[in-house]
Amino acid sequence: MMEQADKLLEVTDLKVHFTLPGGGWLRNNLILRAVDGVSFSVAPGDTLGIVGESGCGKSTLARALLRLVPVTSGSIKFKGQELTTLDDAAMRRIRRNAQIIFQDPLASLDPRMTVGNIITEPMRALMPELSRTQRHQRVLAMMQQVGLLPSHINRYAHEFSGGQAQRIGIARALVVEPALVVCDEPVSSLDVSIKSQVINLLQNLQSERGLTYLFIAHDLTSVRHIAQRVVVLYLGRVMEVANRDAIYRQPRHPYTQMLIAAVPIPDPRVARQRKVSVVRGELPSPLKPPSGCAFRTRCPWAIERCALERPELRMIGNSQVACHRAEENLGFKLSG
Amino acid sequence: MAELLEIRDLSVHFRTEDGLVHAVSHVDFDLGEGEVLGVVGESGSGKSQTWLAVMGLLAQNGYATGSVKLHGRELLGLSPSQLSHMRGVQLAMIFQDPMTALNPYLTIGRQMTEVLQWHRKMRRSDAEKRAVKALESVHISDPVSRLKSYPHEFSGGMRQRVMIAMNMLNEPEILICDEPTTALDVTVQAQILALLNELRERFGTAIVFITHDLGVIAQIAERVAVLYGGRMMEQADVYTLFEDYRHPYTEGLLRSVPRMDEDRTERLLTIPGNPPNLAMLPKGCPFSPRCAYVEARCQQQMPELEVIAPGHVRACFHSGKLGRQETGA
Repeated sequence: MMEQADKLLEVTDLKVHFTLPGGGWLRNNLILRAVDGVSFSVAPGDTLGIVGESGCGKSTLARALLRLVPVTSGSIKFKGQELTTLDDAAMRRIRRNAQIIFQDPLASLDPRMTVGNIITEPMRALMPELSRTQRHQRVLAMMQQVGLLPSHINRYAHEFSGGQAQRIGIARALVVEPALVVCDEPVSSLDVSIKSQVINLLQNLQSERGLTYLFIAHDLTSVRHIAQRVVVLYLGRVMEVANRDAIYRQPRHPYTQMLIAAVPIPDPRVARQRKVSVVRGELPSPLKPPSGCAFRTRCPWAIERCALERPELRMIGNSQVACHRAEENLGFKLSG
Repeated sequence: MAELLEIRDLSVHFRTEDGLVHAVSHVDFDLGEGEVLGVVGESGSGKSQTWLAVMGLLAQNGYATGSVKLHGRELLGLSPSQLSHMRGVQLAMIFQDPMTALNPYLTIGRQMTEVLQWHRKMRRSDAEKRAVKALESVHISDPVSRLKSYPHEFSGGMRQRVMIAMNMLNEPEILICDEPTTALDVTVQAQILALLNELRERFGTAIVFITHDLGVIAQIAERVAVLYGGRMMEQADVYTLFEDYRHPYTEGLLRSVPRMDEDRTERLLTIPGNPPNLAMLPKGCPFSPRCAYVEARCQQQMPELEVIAPGHVRACFHSGKLGRQETGA
C-alpha cells in the first residue's frame, strides 16, 4: 500500500492571487485574492463538494488544482506528490490521472471535431502507447458507458442536446482512466429532467471505476446528492467543512445557513411559510474584502471582533467552522 | 377575477432552412389582474416564444397565429408603432441576462429617463426624480449617484434589479419575467423573488414567471401552466399542480427534483430520453417518446385538453392512476 493511501488529494493553505492594473495616476496594482488560504483533503473514491456563490473562487480553485492557472503559494499533494513545483512535462503525466469536466458542454467541445475525435484526442496526447485500433475500441466502449450510441461517433457536438453533449464531455475526461475528476458545475446549465440523469451517470461511473470527484457547484441540492463532504467557500476563503448530513441538517456557519435557506423548496405550502428574509446584502468586491471575517458585512450576528480578527477554521462538533460565534448556535436548524 | 389577458389558440411558427418549425401549438392562457402565472417547461417547450409573441418580439422569421387580447383588444397584427406604445405602458418583459437588454454605452440614468421622456413626454428633471424613486423601490442604495453608473458597474443581481425598476417605471399591468433568476446565485434569486412579490402587492402588477425551476414556481406562482414541445400539457392552481397533478410529464418533473427539506435518496428519479427537437417533433403527443404510460394512440394523435376540475386542464390519454404511490417512500 502507498503511504498516503488515505488521501488522494491534499490541499494546504492554497492561494491564487491575480494582479490587476489599478486606476489613478499612481497606477497602483490591485491584488485579487481569488483563492486565499484554502485547505482540504479528499480520500480515494469519495466525492468532495465545493459550494459558494459566483465570485467565491470555486472555479479558480478547480483550475488551480490542475495547474491550469498559476498557484501563488501553498501546497497541492496528489497521491503524495507535490504538484505546485512540477515542470510541464511532469505535470502532463499527472493530467492523465486528473481530468476536468466543464459547465457548458457545448462551449467546451470543439465544433469542428466529430464525437469520435473529441474522445480520442486526450488518448493521443496522454496515452501515446495505444495503437489506433486500441484507441478506437476504447472510444466505443467509453461511449457505451456514458449512454451514447455507436452511430454517434461521426457526428458533431452541436448536433446534440445539452445533456448528450455533457455525456461527450464526461467520456472525454474518463477515457484516459483518471483517478480524480474535477467536475466544474457539470449540471448547472442542463434541463431539470436531464440534470438528474447526468448525476446518476456520474454516480454509476464512480462506483464502477472507483473514481474520486471534486464536485463544484452553486446548486446545493445536487451537491447534497452526490458529495460525502462539503466545503463552503466565500470570497476565496473556507467558511465551513463538514460531512453532508452535518452541513445540511445543522449548518453551523451563518453563511452556510443563508445559502441553504435561499434554496427554493418545490412545495407551495412549505415554500410560502419559509422566511427568506435571512438573505441580506450583496457580495462585496473581492478586490476589497471586508477586514476580519469576509462574511461579516452580511452576517446577522456580526460583532466588533468579527471586523478585527479573521476567524480560523476550528472544530465544532464534527464540523470545521470559521466563525467567532459558532458555539453560540445563533442560527436556525433545518428539520429533516 | 376580471380577465386582463386572454390568449386563444396561439401558435408560433418559424420559417427555417429545414422548413416550417412549430415552436408553439394551439395554447390558451388567461391572466387576471394582479395574478401570478407560472409557466414551466424545459428547452424547446415554447415557454419563451409564447410570451415573445405576446410582446410582438418574435425573431424576423417567426410569426404567430391565433388571438391575444389585452382588455379585449386584439394584439396580434398591430403595427410596430402601436405595439411599441403598448410595450412599456401596459406590457413589460425582463430576461435572463439583463446585460443583453441594457446599453453598455449609456448610464443607467439616461436609459431610465429615456423611457419616461418617450412614453410619458416628461421633462428630464421630473423623469430623473421618477427614476430615483424606481431605484429606491427595488432597494438600490444611493440611487441618485447610481444613476450616473454604467451597467458594467453593477453586479448581476443589481442589474436585474435595475431592469425591474426600468420596466416598472410606467407601472405596466403585466410584467413578463423570462427566467430572470436562472443565471443568478440562490441568495440573489431569493432577494429578486421577494422583490417581485413586494412590487406586485404595491402596484397590483400581474406577473408571468417563465422558468424551468419548480422550486421558484412553488414560491411565487398562483397558477401554473406546464408546456412541452410547444403544447400545453397541464394547467392548474399551484397547490393542485403540486399535489394532485394528472399529467405524466408533470409527475416526471416533480419527481426528478431533489428536495432540500427531505431525506436524501440514493438515486435520483429521472425522465429518460432528451428534450424534444422542435424541427423533428414526433407524431401525436410530443412527450410520448419519454412517457412511462405511453399507449399506441399517443403516437398517432395529440390528446385534446380536457377539463378535470374547474381551472384544472390536462392533455393526456392515460386514464389510470399515476405511479406516485409506489415511489413515494
